[in-house]
Amino acid sequence: MMPSWMLRALRASSGLRGRLIGTFVAVMVLGAAAAAWAGVQQSTASLISSHTDSAAADLISRVTQVSPSVRYPPRQDSLDQLRNAVGVNALVGFDGNTSSSGFFASGWESVPSDLRAAITAQERSDDARVSTQRVEADGTSWLVIGTPVMITSPEGERAPSGIEVYAAYDLTDVGQQVDALVRGAAVTTALVLPLAVLLAILASRSVLRPIARLRATAQSLAAGDLTARSESAGVDELAQLTRTVNEMAESLQSSMESLAQMEEGSRRFAADVSHELRTPLSTLTAAVEVLHDVLARADHADLSDDDARESAELAFHETQRLVALVEDIMEVARFDAGTTQVRRETVDIAEVARECVSVRGWSDDVRITRGPARSANGRSVTVRADRARLDVILANLIGNALTHGRAPVHVEMSTRDGGVSVAVIDSGPGIPPDDLAHVFTRFYKADTTRTRAHGSGLGLAIARENALAHGGTLTAENRDGGGAVFTLWLPLGEPDASETPEEDHR
Amino acid sequence: MRQRIVSALAIGSIALALSGCGLGPSGVEQGAAAPTGVSAGMTLYFYDSSGTLTAQQRDTGRLGSVQDAIALLLTGPGSSGLTTALTPTTVTRTEVRLSGDQMSIVVPLTATEATDVGTDQIVCTALASHIQSGGSPDTTVTVHFTVGSDTTRTCPVLP
Repeated sequence: MMPSWMLRALRASSGLRGRLIGTFVAVMVLGAAAAAWAGVQQSTASLISSHTDSAAADLISRVTQVSPSVRYPPRQDSLDQLRNAVGVNALVGFDGNTSSSGFFASGWESVPSDLRAAITAQERSDDARVSTQRVEADGTSWLVIGTPVMITSPEGERAPSGIEVYAAYDLTDVGQQVDALVRGAAVTTALVLPLAVLLAILASRSVLRPIARLRATAQSLAAGDLTARSESAGVDELAQLTRTVNEMAESLQSSMESLAQMEEGSRRFAADVSHELRTPLSTLTAAVEVLHDVLARADHADLSDDDARESAELAFHETQRLVALVEDIMEVARFDAGTTQVRRETVDIAEVARECVSVRGWSDDVRITRGPARSANGRSVTVRADRARLDVILANLIGNALTHGRAPVHVEMSTRDGGVSVAVIDSGPGIPPDDLAHVFTRFYKADTTRTRAHGSGLGLAIARENALAHGGTLTAENRDGGGAVFTLWLPLGEPDASETPEEDHR
Repeated sequence: MRQRIVSALAIGSIALALSGCGLGPSGVEQGAAAPTGVSAGMTLYFYDSSGTLTAQQRDTGRLGSVQDAIALLLTGPGSSGLTTALTPTTVTRTEVRLSGDQMSIVVPLTATEATDVGTDQIVCTALASHIQSGGSPDTTVTVHFTVGSDTTRTCPVLP
């Protein structure tokens, strides 16, 4: 397994910091290497050049010194004499005769052919010169210097004597000096590395710190804190970006504020309208009730007009419905305003369900069953919840099932995921798939043609809001065998030490 | 990934730097002027019958030194038909010093024994030997006599 620091380094290397540091270090090391390389090249070139020049000067001086004493035309011993004067690695040739030693032990064969051709050419030229060449022999570098020996007339005219002198110089010492140069350059380059890393880290920090600040600001904005801003200093691109983000946050904040104000206004409007409607409705309800009763009791023929009775009946029911609608709208408005209060107490859901069904006269159509998974201690299914709101949820679900689905309706209770699950299953055809996602939407009607359906269109929305207010969930789905399933799940809730009702603002 | 390419590039360049220079084989390069100094004989200067300073080649088999040439000059022209202006002497040892373009020769003769034209013989012979052994043709020669004032001159027949 890789050690953790390696993993960290690997992660860091793929980020902006890693790339910055990598590039910086690479550039610096490349620069240092290039400078060192150029320096070494130049030093080596001048080292070799000076060594070559001094060796050539040495050869010329030795030959010049001994030449006047050498017999001409030379015999073998003259050649030997010249060769001895030149040094240990030398070859002296004249007209097919040679005297050689050391490097040139094998005679002409050891003379580089390029060099020999050059010497031959030099002999014929007006201005004969020494020729030099570096060669590799047995893994060692040698400097071979060759020159024709000239005859100078008293008038200063030079002519070839036919004598050629070659000398070889071991370049091992020079090689060692070059190696030392290269080592020095390599060490210098290597020393640049930590320095480069240090500088790169400092440079990357100056770039990455504003980025980290920007990221924190963006995270705060995303989390909903619209007042979050970054400090922007300087005039570089990052500062510009920071300013732009700040401007963006500014405009986001102002538009969110105006949006919130508008929403607040519309909510208040809905609440006010409902409230204003309630007072005349109360009066209207009372009046219609009286009218209804009077008509029901009236036996006189002149008044027992069936049309009038029917109208009164209709007015009575529609007024009842209007009252229920206004109550629902006010409930929704309270949810929206966040002023809903949940009074938790320990309640038995099964008991609440039974009461809910029997009070509304649904006992014939509803079967309440306990699911297979009972509470561990076998007690009744209890939760900490607001009894009234639980009743509203169940009434809405069962009423909805009876109205839109078909009897019989099964209410199944079970414990699940640390909470209580109540499934309300009807025997109808189920909810059309297109509508499944919208069943909890306010005033959503599954069948658009039946605009005069029972209910306000707010029942399921209110049930869901109530479930959410308890920290629970309410979901709708279709069973495989047909029939809609509405599943309420409520957390068990912490049993409070004191049984005082607690207030829970949504 | 790019990191690795960059570092490979860097290492590659360093390796190139370490190996790219040094003492590898090279081509043939030209250096200083070739040495000189071999000769089949010495050049001495005598006067011919018309009194002209003439070079005479002596087949000594080698060029020899300036001293050798002057010593041979002092021994005379032999039976070649040429004449010398120098008074014959048995002492042929001379002293030759060279300092830059200045050659000074101490001869075992008085100024009178050497004579003016004889001095030219000495100067020309010394310069010829000097030039043939690779010396500069711009050298001036100062001759020191055993008696008499020194004279500094160049050879009238050499360029």
